[in-house]
Amino acid sequence: MNANPVGGDSGPRKEGVAFGLQVWLLTGRFLGNAIRQPAVILPNLGISIFFLIVYYGSFGDSPAIVQLTGGNYLNFVLPVTVLFASISGGAAGLTLVEDLESGYFRRQLSMPLSRTAMVLSAMLLGAIQVTFEAILIIALGLVLGADPAAGALGLLALLFFSLLWGLGFAGYSVATGLLTGNARAAQSATFIFFPLLFLAPVFLPFDQLAPWIQAIARVNPTTYMLEGMRSLMIDGWELWPLAKALIAGAAFALVTLIWAVRVAIRKTSRA
Amino acid sequence: MIEVDRLSKRFGSGDDAVDAVKSVSFKVDQGEIFGLLGANGAGKSTTVLMLTTLLAPTSGDARIAGYSLSSDGAGIRRSVGAALQDPGLDPMQKGGGLLELHARLFGFDRKAAIHRRDELLDLVGLRDAADRRIGEYSGGMRRRLDLAAALVNRPRVLFLDEPTTGLDPASRRAIWDEVGVLRESGVTVLLTTQYLEEADQLADRVAIMADGEIVSTGTPAELKAGLGADVIELAFDEEGVAEEAVSVIGPPANRLGQVVRIPAADGPAELARVVGLLKEAGIESSSLSLSQPTLDDVFLNIVESRGEGVGR
Repeated sequence: MNANPVGGDSGPRKEGVAFGLQVWLLTGRFLGNAIRQPAVILPNLGISIFFLIVYYGSFGDSPAIVQLTGGNYLNFVLPVTVLFASISGGAAGLTLVEDLESGYFRRQLSMPLSRTAMVLSAMLLGAIQVTFEAILIIALGLVLGADPAAGALGLLALLFFSLLWGLGFAGYSVATGLLTGNARAAQSATFIFFPLLFLAPVFLPFDQLAPWIQAIARVNPTTYMLEGMRSLMIDGWELWPLAKALIAGAAFALVTLIWAVRVAIRKTSRA
Repeated sequence: MIEVDRLSKRFGSGDDAVDAVKSVSFKVDQGEIFGLLGANGAGKSTTVLMLTTLLAPTSGDARIAGYSLSSDGAGIRRSVGAALQDPGLDPMQKGGGLLELHARLFGFDRKAAIHRRDELLDLVGLRDAADRRIGEYSGGMRRRLDLAAALVNRPRVLFLDEPTTGLDPASRRAIWDEVGVLRESGVTVLLTTQYLEEADQLADRVAIMADGEIVSTGTPAELKAGLGADVIELAFDEEGVAEEAVSVIGPPANRLGQVVRIPAADGPAELARVVGLLKEAGIESSSLSLSQPTLDDVFLNIVESRGEGVGR
């Protein structure tokens, strides 16, 4: 009872805290909480690794498939399992729903914080979780015999793409989490991931797909992300597929960020 | 420090519209503790949500710590603190970590944030629990941490929305002590409460809200004086008998459970009249006393006169 609640030499900044520092501090909180409950990402990581092993075990020794997919099926399928890990970005939406339910989201709204920073920090949590899983999956792929044509730098580029994709998927989950305010509904919304992933050249090259799937895959951003990642694994540094992957990933992340921020603003009618 | 001008909030539209707050105006001076009293649904919390920028008003405006609610919500958020009805705390965080994070978010540098964290933990008596997760805190500890979190930015204005609801008497007393410390440091406090004893204990002035409107304002002493010099209190064995007694005695008698209280300008004379009426009706009370009026009497008198129930 001896502290002066209002006095003191140091104090809050009258002009508020810079946007970048807000994002940094809020993301740090999310990450701290995620580290305290590592079990949250384990099921999805396990499924991604399971798919990698099963796909490779099923098709890796088939001469016809190996020929179709460029000589090493592991190089072909590794980006698929990396993209599969992006479903972990859905944890970002669940984290925000937890904040809504505990009332902590409202407390943050009563502070001089940018709603964009609040949303972006949750998205970054999702993207970081996805990238972390991608690192483990790529490491396993290398152990099993993956041989990236673009070398070690190519693997870094692959991780960058997974981060970008994770950011986009996290934005989607944040928006649906804020819209529904309900953990179960937010979790269900992540099922959109499956048509998005499987209506793309997942198991076979684009020109081997049925015409109706080709038509859908052509407008599916997953196709361009997948082909960009594959070009790093199979062909090396090819400008055009990488540019298309970058554009698709950045556009996906930007669109979902804008959507999530708009939902946050609409759902919180603060003065 | 707080000037509220015809603030209103309407939820819904058309036939389903509900006017939760109806053109409320009041002023709170610097360093004053102002109590907003009312039953559940009276509009207290909606008023606080608007003043803390968490809910956009339908009409009206307010100036808080020099900032306009309608045009400078960000200025208000930087200058005020709020401990709302349900403590908004992250259960995964540690108590000390949460205060330190909030200090950084308000612009304290790392060293100052640690200092501020320790200062506040001492203020609310949670230094020993600083490294425990908030999810493991008791209800009273959460309230105290919530109060500390509301003070991180050294606010000039503090909003406390039912800060002791649901707490045991010891925890309630601890919060009262902390508000007492705030009074000494010159913070302006707007406090909402359903506990009239709390407002009596803490508030310099009180406004009573009912059905979205402020129906009475004054110091607790002024409000009590307006009711009369004395209060007769009668206790009965059953609620039904107490209800019958109220109808026999007539206004301003009011009932809370098995107890009937009657404000009176001249207690002894009124007591004789009441005893006579009850005897005539064949009603016996189990106890009878004469005392000074409390804010409960003011509040009950207003609510009864408006024909509203007491949601307590």
